[in-house]
Amino acid sequence: MVSLKKIFVSMSVAFALVFSLFAAGVMADSHTAKLRVVHASPDAPAVDVYVNGDLTLEEVPFKADSGYLDVPAGTHNVEVFAAGTEYAEGEGVLQADLTVEAGKAYTVAAANTLDSLEFVVAEDSMEVSEGKAKIRVGHLSPDAPAVEVGIIGGDALFSGAEFPGITDYAEVDAGTYDLEIRLPDGTQVLPLEGTELAAGTVYSVFAVNTVDSLEVLALIDYEMAASPDGMPTTGLGTPEQNQTNWLLMIGAMAAVLAGGGVVLKKRFQN
Amino acid sequence: MIGSIFILAGCQDTTDEVSVRSEGVGFASERKYSVSDTEVKTLLENPINALKREGIVPEKISIPAIGVEAETLHLGTKENGEMDVPDTIDDVSWFEPGYKPGENGRAVIAGHVDGIKGPAIFWDLAKLEAGDEIIVKGEGNDLVFRVYAMESVELELADVHSVFGYRSSPELILITCSGDYDYNRGTREERLIVYTELVEE
Repeated sequence: MVSLKKIFVSMSVAFALVFSLFAAGVMADSHTAKLRVVHASPDAPAVDVYVNGDLTLEEVPFKADSGYLDVPAGTHNVEVFAAGTEYAEGEGVLQADLTVEAGKAYTVAAANTLDSLEFVVAEDSMEVSEGKAKIRVGHLSPDAPAVEVGIIGGDALFSGAEFPGITDYAEVDAGTYDLEIRLPDGTQVLPLEGTELAAGTVYSVFAVNTVDSLEVLALIDYEMAASPDGMPTTGLGTPEQNQTNWLLMIGAMAAVLAGGGVVLKKRFQN
Repeated sequence: MIGSIFILAGCQDTTDEVSVRSEGVGFASERKYSVSDTEVKTLLENPINALKREGIVPEKISIPAIGVEAETLHLGTKENGEMDVPDTIDDVSWFEPGYKPGENGRAVIAGHVDGIKGPAIFWDLAKLEAGDEIIVKGEGNDLVFRVYAMESVELELADVHSVFGYRSSPELILITCSGDYDYNRGTREERLIVYTELVEE
């Protein structure tokens, strides 16, 4: 039986070194996907993540997420090692070949306990209707029973969430909701009162840690803003005009030099 | 008179300064990301409500490394869908319908590289190096961004929605024109894109 838990939250910041996956190539091209790594294994140490054999994330602690990294579309060999372990291909605590498509975003969570570590992969939404918010939940607590998430004293938004799984998104009106994580019989597991879901924002709410210390790891997947259809035209001149200006400058300098020469000559003559 | 005609003829080969300056530029540096780590300690705050970051409406930017101080206009898109730019060569423009500086996502500020009579506000943008700072002022705040990458990209290759797109942390993108002049299109073939990230206090 799960007892009532209180939410205790404070933000602290850990640092993980992230190495670019784009040593060469155009950063602003359209052949990239976004990939976010979440450490959701309660008893695993901080980890180093290698992508295609290259150290990409260093010292990612439990409950930390990398934020979205740009990766080329295609299949990538992702390997996880305990932080500081010397890299050896295929020797990681966790390995997967992940295929990502251009223009899409993904969450890759390292879940379960250290001895049965597994990846939980989900595609993330990067769109939301005007004035709406989107939310989904992930059950990443290895020993917690199936739960539902809903309005306190009201309907469930998500039901039957089981470990290890991430639900589809629900789109809701932006606003403030008194949410809770509860057992199917209605027993509250975690209150989430006063949850503000902002317009144009996509949320992921993951339940992590073991059942006796269940916590919420909340992430934003997307915030909507407009984009133009074309790059700005940020030059008013043309090469000729620049050349004309150089000509004018050269001409002016020549005139000054010539004038100066005359003066000097005169001085010498004097 | 003969002399000046000779000079004109001699200058037909003169190099295009803007093109030369942006040739072969570009770098990307390693970045230290802050990784959010939610600790469960007090009863007071809902973790979902702690996620949003408020940006500022930019009024001025300064880039000490290249001596830029500029008013920041607020512009949207032109009729052809392009990001709008100032009519003036001393001002820069922020893409107002996009992300605000300091919000998660890429806020974009553009400025001209040259005007009809010579250099404009972003003439020296290609000289920026990794670590150079951009200070954005607005609403009584100063936000400091640090350059982490630069590239000069052909217009055909630049994915506009990525350059103006969402990120998990606040970024500021600076854009100006670069590359050779394309007479058919009436603009330069490339755009210089400078990627900067917010320096956290």
